[in-house]
Amino acid sequence: MIENAGFDPIIGALNTSLNLRLHNQGVISSNIANADTPGYKAKTMDFETALRDAIGADNGLKVEGAKKRMTDPTNPEIYDDPDGVEGLDGNTVDRAREMARMAENQLMYDASAEMLRRKLGMLKYAITEGGGGR
Amino acid sequence: MDFFTSMRISASGLDAQMKRMNTISSNIANAEVTESADGSGPYRKKDLVLAAQTDRESFDEVLKGQLDEHAQGVQVVEVYEDQRPPRMVYNPSHPQANADGYVAMPNVNPVEEMANMIAAQRSYEANVTALNAAKAMALKGLEIGK
Repeated sequence: MIENAGFDPIIGALNTSLNLRLHNQGVISSNIANADTPGYKAKTMDFETALRDAIGADNGLKVEGAKKRMTDPTNPEIYDDPDGVEGLDGNTVDRAREMARMAENQLMYDASAEMLRRKLGMLKYAITEGGGGR
Repeated sequence: MDFFTSMRISASGLDAQMKRMNTISSNIANAEVTESADGSGPYRKKDLVLAAQTDRESFDEVLKGQLDEHAQGVQVVEVYEDQRPPRMVYNPSHPQANADGYVAMPNVNPVEEMANMIAAQRSYEANVTALNAAKAMALKGLEIGK
C-alpha cells in the first residue's frame, strides 16, 4: 500500500494504478476470448473510480471527493457492461470497443510504468548523491 | 490477477477459434461426401458450442477466488451435428440414388462456411492482439527496475 511505499506517495499511487491496469487487461482479454460465446455478457470495470477508492484512503494524496473507504486495489468492482447491446445469441461483446479499450489500457499502463521508472530513478539519483557518491 | 492469467485467457480464445477453424475445414472438405464414415447417410455439418470458463489453473487463484465470474476464458463444450435435412440432388446414375433418382448430399452451405471462417479468423486475430498487449505490458513492467 501507499503507506509502505515510504518515500513518495506518488510511487504508491502508480503502483496501484499499474495493478488496476493489469486487472483491466484481464477483463478485456476475457471479453475478447468470449466474443463468440452465446449468452456471455461483456464485463467492465471503472478504472478511475477504483483508483480513487484505492488511493483515497491515503491522506498524503488529496483526491477531490475521494471516499474514505479502503478497497483492495487488486480487487476492483467488475460489473456487466451497461452499454452492451445484446446480439441474437445474447452476447453483448463489441469487439471494436474492446480493442479500443485495450489499446488505451496498454498505453496508460506504459505511461504509469515509465513514470514509476523515472520516480525510482530520481530516488536512486538522490541516494547515490547525484550519481557520483559510491 | 497476473499477466499469465490474462495470457491464459487469450490462449483459451486462440484454442477455441482454432477448433472452430477445424470444424469449418472439415465441413468444406466434406461438402460433397454422400457416405459418412459410420455409414449413417451423408456427412452432416459440424459446429461448436462455446461456453465461458472460469480460469482456475493455479492453487493460488482457487484460494483467493478473485477471478470468480469476472475474468473468464472460453472453452468448447460440445461439437454438434447440424440437424438440417440433407440437400437432395437429382442424379439417377449415382450408386446412392434413391428410388426416385435423388441423392442425399451434405447439408453444408459453402457460403455460410466461408463467412464463418472469416469470423473465426478475425476472432483469432483479436485474441493474438490481446495476448501481445499483455506481453508488451509485462515487458514494460520489467523495465521499471532498470
